[in-house]
Amino acid sequence: MKVVDARGELCPKPLIMTKKALAEIDENDSLEILIDNETSMKNVSRFLTDNGMEVKQELKGNVFHLFVGKTGEIPESAPVEEYCEVSFSSNKNLVIAFQKELLGDGAEELGRILMKAFVNTLPEATSQPQSIVFLNSGIFLTLKNSQVLDTLVKLEKSGVEILVCGTCLDYYQKKQELGVGIVSNMYDILEKLTSASSVVYP
Amino acid sequence: MNYTVLTFQATHYVLKAEKILLEKGFKFDIIPTPKDISSDCGMSIRFDPEITRNDSVAETLKLINIDFNIHEVWMK
Repeated sequence: MKVVDARGELCPKPLIMTKKALAEIDENDSLEILIDNETSMKNVSRFLTDNGMEVKQELKGNVFHLFVGKTGEIPESAPVEEYCEVSFSSNKNLVIAFQKELLGDGAEELGRILMKAFVNTLPEATSQPQSIVFLNSGIFLTLKNSQVLDTLVKLEKSGVEILVCGTCLDYYQKKQELGVGIVSNMYDILEKLTSASSVVYP
Repeated sequence: MNYTVLTFQATHYVLKAEKILLEKGFKFDIIPTPKDISSDCGMSIRFDPEITRNDSVAETLKLINIDFNIHEVWMK
């Protein structure tokens, strides 16, 4: 069975890869497609069923495996782009506001690693935040010596806006050590929080 | 990309391992244990095998007598 590995690919790439692979195999042969996000999986499934194919789906770990038998040719002209649907419309305005450098109340060393694990998992979350705000001791996560700096830089590069409280940087005398994000003030931060469709306080 | 993930038997071992790896200047992340490795609500250590060598991490952790399991995991 031919395997299409579309992990890490964003729409419309998995659709294009699937369409191309289907064109290459013989009728009655089958194809396995690996996809690592639910939106792409749904888009590819819809594309295939709309074109008269039967799709079976399996989730192994974090990876969706789609199995499809080729029952006919998909015309070269079949559109793929219009199957790119962004599914997080309900959460398109998600904001995460870090108010401290520890996650939860309790033992400090535990709060510290829980926070690292939380931040390091954000790039894999199905609903990406539009903005992330850092307040009070939360600003320590954004400094050059922060152990989650690489992850925050990665999020910023992927389009997530990172706002860091300027008053807080000033209070802790850490302005020179900022490693990621934009220095922001209460007006911008309040605007972000009040216009968000939902705010997560870790 | 492919990562090496180290899992431990208790959160306290993760804390001890983190401490010594930081002291020795290793580059790694603390992450929740991936669901396909274990359903426990555990913490793990993740590093990029291209940057950090498995055997030098293993040697360092031997110094403090900590048992761990090594996994190869694909992550975004």
